[in-house]
Amino acid sequence: MLRLPLGLGLAALFAASPALADIARIKTTSGAAAIERGGQKLKAAPGLTLQKGDKLVTGKDGRMSLTFVDNTRFALGPNSSVSVSEFQYDRTRQKGTMLTQVDRGSLAVVSGKIAKSDRDAMKVRTPNTLLGVRGTKFIVDVDK
Amino acid sequence: MLLPDDGGGQGSVAVLEAGGQPADAVIAAGNSRTKLGDATPATKPLGGKGLRKEEAALLTSLPPPAKSFTLYFQQGTTTLVPDSVNVLAALRQEIAARSGPEVEVTGHTDTVGSQEDNDRLSVSRAEEVMNWLAGQGFDRSVMSAVGRGEREPKLATADNVDSAANRRVEVLVR
Repeated sequence: MLRLPLGLGLAALFAASPALADIARIKTTSGAAAIERGGQKLKAAPGLTLQKGDKLVTGKDGRMSLTFVDNTRFALGPNSSVSVSEFQYDRTRQKGTMLTQVDRGSLAVVSGKIAKSDRDAMKVRTPNTLLGVRGTKFIVDVDK
Repeated sequence: MLLPDDGGGQGSVAVLEAGGQPADAVIAAGNSRTKLGDATPATKPLGGKGLRKEEAALLTSLPPPAKSFTLYFQQGTTTLVPDSVNVLAALRQEIAARSGPEVEVTGHTDTVGSQEDNDRLSVSRAEEVMNWLAGQGFDRSVMSAVGRGEREPKLATADNVDSAANRRVEVLVR
């Protein structure tokens, strides 16, 4: 058997991940852009991590872009309100489910690993429609 | 509005419910626009006018796709092979160029040695890379390192096979 020239003392196979509950990270923002989380309003800024249930809100001059841990990418336009109501992803198996609710405004989506993992694993709800995303790039626009 | 994928393929979007009722329609035409809300949505091509100004601005503001790097190691060690040293510089540049970056480091081994030793070695390789990045000034809170041992070889081999392709660390920058 091979002897490994290593400094040992590593007890766990999986190193502790600092942020298990983080589902996405904000990449860019401009104008009025905020995250609503359990009654709190956080100013959106690059590097801020998102959690399941967060609502992304932009004002009349606002924009925001983010990338999820499954590589799904979002861009919100002005006057938008988008909630990530469900998000579950297993990094090892690269499978999961996701439900995004677009209440107002515009959202560009490039789907990631979740949409590939199972049919309609990624869903987007608008006020009048439920969409199943089958691996693609699209824009959802909800008029007031 | 449905667009072609960046890779050149075409995905689709299914309408599962419309106006509160179950629906069963699929929008599959690239560069098309669909008004939602009806059980059988009408899809129209974008046509000569193309994207609206606001749609183009929205697409431009999408984050760049995740980018993957692979670093290779010498047998049984956490020492990079010489060719991979240059990849470190490219990796550093990619992270520095991104707004709000996030880095996932995954270590792997070949099948030489026991599974337990390889689990440890793969974690050590991943941590070696993460520590180097931390030394370059990147915040540890945006990085994570895991090891997969010999479980996910790039090239499938029998046990106890020396494989340069499998002794690697994959780094995903998003």
